[in-house]
Amino acid sequence: MSAALPDVATLRDMDSKALNQLEKSVADTFMGGVPWGSVAWGLGNLVVWLSLWPLTLSGLLPLWAAFPIATLCVMLSYLPSHEAQHRIIAREGEPLFWLNELVGHLSTIPLVLPYGVARLTHYEHHKHTNDPALDPDAATKADGPWHSIVKSIARRQPGSKDQASYGECLTRLGTPEARAAGVQALIAQLTYLTILFAMAWTGHAIEAALLWWLPRHIAMTYIQFYLSWAPHHPGTGKGRYRDTRAFRSAVGNIGSMGMQFHIVHHLYPRIPLMRTPAAYWALRPILEARGCDLERL
Amino acid sequence: MQSFLGALFKAMPLIFGLGFMAPLIGQSLALTGWPMPGGIAPIWIGLAIGAVWGGVATRTGRWL
Repeated sequence: MSAALPDVATLRDMDSKALNQLEKSVADTFMGGVPWGSVAWGLGNLVVWLSLWPLTLSGLLPLWAAFPIATLCVMLSYLPSHEAQHRIIAREGEPLFWLNELVGHLSTIPLVLPYGVARLTHYEHHKHTNDPALDPDAATKADGPWHSIVKSIARRQPGSKDQASYGECLTRLGTPEARAAGVQALIAQLTYLTILFAMAWTGHAIEAALLWWLPRHIAMTYIQFYLSWAPHHPGTGKGRYRDTRAFRSAVGNIGSMGMQFHIVHHLYPRIPLMRTPAAYWALRPILEARGCDLERL
Repeated sequence: MQSFLGALFKAMPLIFGLGFMAPLIGQSLALTGWPMPGGIAPIWIGLAIGAVWGGVATRTGRWL
């Protein structure tokens, strides 16, 4: 695809309308169809995580083996829901919209992040990326990788003001849908704590800690690092071609869950995750011509 | 309802300390097989640590 594009210098000289049209025509070729890989990922991941409970409680799987699997499952639980949040699996009115919503609701159960909360706050993140007052993810801004990890842990302390950013975002939206999402968040949090307490006081505290509580903390740190901090660093850019960047991850594309190419997602949120690397390479000359931050990628 | 939930979440670190950290510490100590001081049951040590840690977290707003 990129071979068919003019060189960067020619693209820079193109008038804005023609460049927009060219960019959109390239991006359009990566949209459409059902991303079955994400559907299988979302539902399969939940099944694997759920299966760890009877397997460890019955003694069939040792806890030391279940813990890293559980951690991986919780880390992997967000992105299928993210595809659903953007209605990539199916749009409202399409025959498979129920599947979109099913993946959206089920995949983030291990993260204790209700779909409604994730969807509404994520739309606000797209609308107001890097705006400290309006982007609910703006608090993930940090000076560097270690600072990002420290801030992520600090944000989860009970007295942290940043912890309330999603709740504040829903209150600011003030719609019936946002109010319902707030109630869902409350129910999810109370249910999660009730399960942890019940398991702990029935003699399964270590299982609950290593299958859910600790994996969730590790996963939240990882997700906030790769999905929020890294692609938006330094978190000061505003505007379509400035608020998100491409970057080369030390753990590669799979290790960073495709976030090296997150700039493509912000430009065209309906391109499925698994097609963003190809879309990036196809769009790269245009992004370079536009002066996007493409780091070393 | 709102004030009840507000109070509940304000006290959540203490509740979490007693509801989860205490049995987690107690069961972890029991797993080590170490003799407890004065032959005390590990859950009591868990409850003491969970209550103090959760209480401090409720007061200061920080677990760490």
